[in-house]
Amino acid sequence: MSGIDVDLAVNGLITGLFYALMAIGLSLIFGILKIVNFAHGEFYMVGAYAYTLIALALGVPVWIALPLAFVVGALLGWLTERTLMRPLYAGYTSWGLMRDEYAVIVTFGLSLFLINLVDKVIGPYAYRGPPLVETSRVVLGPVLISGHRLLAAGIAIAVIAITAALIKWSFWGQQIRAVSQNRLGASLAGIDTAKASVIVFMLSGGLAAFAGALLSPVINASPDVGIFPAIKSYIIVVLGGMGSVPGAIIASLFLGVIESFGAVYISFQYRDAFGLILLMLFLLFRPQGLFGEKGREV
Amino acid sequence: MAPSSATSPAADRSGAQLSNTKTTVEFRAALVAMAIVALIPLGVSNPYWLGVLIVSMYFAILAGAWNLLAGYTGQFSLAPATFAMIGAYTTGLLNHYFGVAPLLGIVAAVVVSGLVGLLLGRAVLRLVGPYLALTTLSFAEIMRLVASNSIDITRGDLGLGVEGLMNSRVGWYYLFLGALVVLLILFYMLLRSKAGLFLQAIRDDEVAARRAGVNVVFWKTAAFAISAAASGFAGALYAHFAELVTPELGLIGQTGLIVSMTVIGGMGTLAGPLVAAFLVYVLSEWLRDVGGYQLVVFAALVIIFARFFREGLWGLARAAVKRRGRA
Repeated sequence: MSGIDVDLAVNGLITGLFYALMAIGLSLIFGILKIVNFAHGEFYMVGAYAYTLIALALGVPVWIALPLAFVVGALLGWLTERTLMRPLYAGYTSWGLMRDEYAVIVTFGLSLFLINLVDKVIGPYAYRGPPLVETSRVVLGPVLISGHRLLAAGIAIAVIAITAALIKWSFWGQQIRAVSQNRLGASLAGIDTAKASVIVFMLSGGLAAFAGALLSPVINASPDVGIFPAIKSYIIVVLGGMGSVPGAIIASLFLGVIESFGAVYISFQYRDAFGLILLMLFLLFRPQGLFGEKGREV
Repeated sequence: MAPSSATSPAADRSGAQLSNTKTTVEFRAALVAMAIVALIPLGVSNPYWLGVLIVSMYFAILAGAWNLLAGYTGQFSLAPATFAMIGAYTTGLLNHYFGVAPLLGIVAAVVVSGLVGLLLGRAVLRLVGPYLALTTLSFAEIMRLVASNSIDITRGDLGLGVEGLMNSRVGWYYLFLGALVVLLILFYMLLRSKAGLFLQAIRDDEVAARRAGVNVVFWKTAAFAISAAASGFAGALYAHFAELVTPELGLIGQTGLIVSMTVIGGMGTLAGPLVAAFLVYVLSEWLRDVGGYQLVVFAALVIIFARFFREGLWGLARAAVKRRGRA
């Protein structure tokens, strides 16, 4: 392995960490409601704007703006759950049997709404967030990396680890996993499934917004900046198995590395297509993904 | 899984009649709306507004085709704009490289997009809900990436210049209207026939439909192919109208517009999406001058309609008529 390969691998893994922040939330939402949130990229976009505007317009220190972006994303997730997702399980949807279609339309509509709202209210111009540290480049052996990216990667690892541990061992994490294995069974066992959904949406919105905030110095946030990260997280969630958190983390790192090498060795123009082709192949031939669990019935 | 309901043959028959009268009422309403649209050029000669109405008709065809697939068959594809793009590129490439006449190119576009639709429909046969939406979404993005990156062939985002068909705006207006009315009649005939009942039976309960003897594989694939062919037809017409084919035709935003029109008009109704296509597109051009909040408003409307008024504007109108009839 030559120096450039090490550099590609490390940078691919770091990209994968940011993908994981997005994909974990999406996967949890799928687990608990069996829907795909097509507005997930807009949580990311809102996070990038929240961090940038809080830090630049209000002059708040970046270390306070970063957690505030998480809070903004969590609030948005809460609002989405309360206003739009409730009918999916509370049984008063006017869509009757077409539950899946309701979910697609309403999240797709939310995505269009948020993109256009930000476009009109804040403007279509790209905003660059302030970096966490000013160091422009750090050299680690053959790897060249900006100080901000290195620090952001470290924070991402910590946040992912905390989230995974909470899902695995905390009281609410266990309840969430119970509901995603079997909603009816969990509610029969006395678990408050509505509360579990609210927690999942807040966590998911917060994590996506946090990813947007961490990357805002790099991505130049514009209203449609969330579209591609969202598509990446759909790919990841399918590869890792819908609903599986460890699967989402592993698939994120895998996709980051594949794209990093593919862009250099196969084709730069088509770097965004590799994942999509994988996605289609998986959906057609192995819809449960690499680590997906089959649902359990009562 | 949806609960299957046991219905007696008698109930089935009355259901069929009910569904047929419902479709017929919607068909008549749509024809009246199209007649009004046909009269507009008598009063409006501004080429800009005629162009806006022509684009509305392009979207009306796409919304109608998507509604057949999503609203009547329950297959929620996120690739309707992609099939329009495929149709546009079929005739565009044939014309640009081989000098094929536009009319022949349009026929080829219908065939090619129909075939692609057939293949995709066959491939996604067993996917439901979010899985189907994601697969068709990635198909759409791959196609758009191919179109915009095959710069040697398609000239990428610069777009491909193609031959026009005529210079008269009014001529184009009536050509699009004619195409729209022909498709409307074809869809009506399809929905009124047994096929229409099969499609709706599949949407309501696939397992029950299969047990009742409906060839689910055939009809689901057929709905995909027909919807794709109609979208490809619209795309090919539009290519010769605009005299330019770009990958932008297949943007997710275009699909968003098609979905919005169908949801606001009323999914699974014949007239709703057609009328809503005009309302949404004309209003959005008009609102552009006053603040430009049109897309925010439409996205909010999509959410509100999906959440509270599943049957869209058509459902609201029907409820209003019923209330007046009772009073």
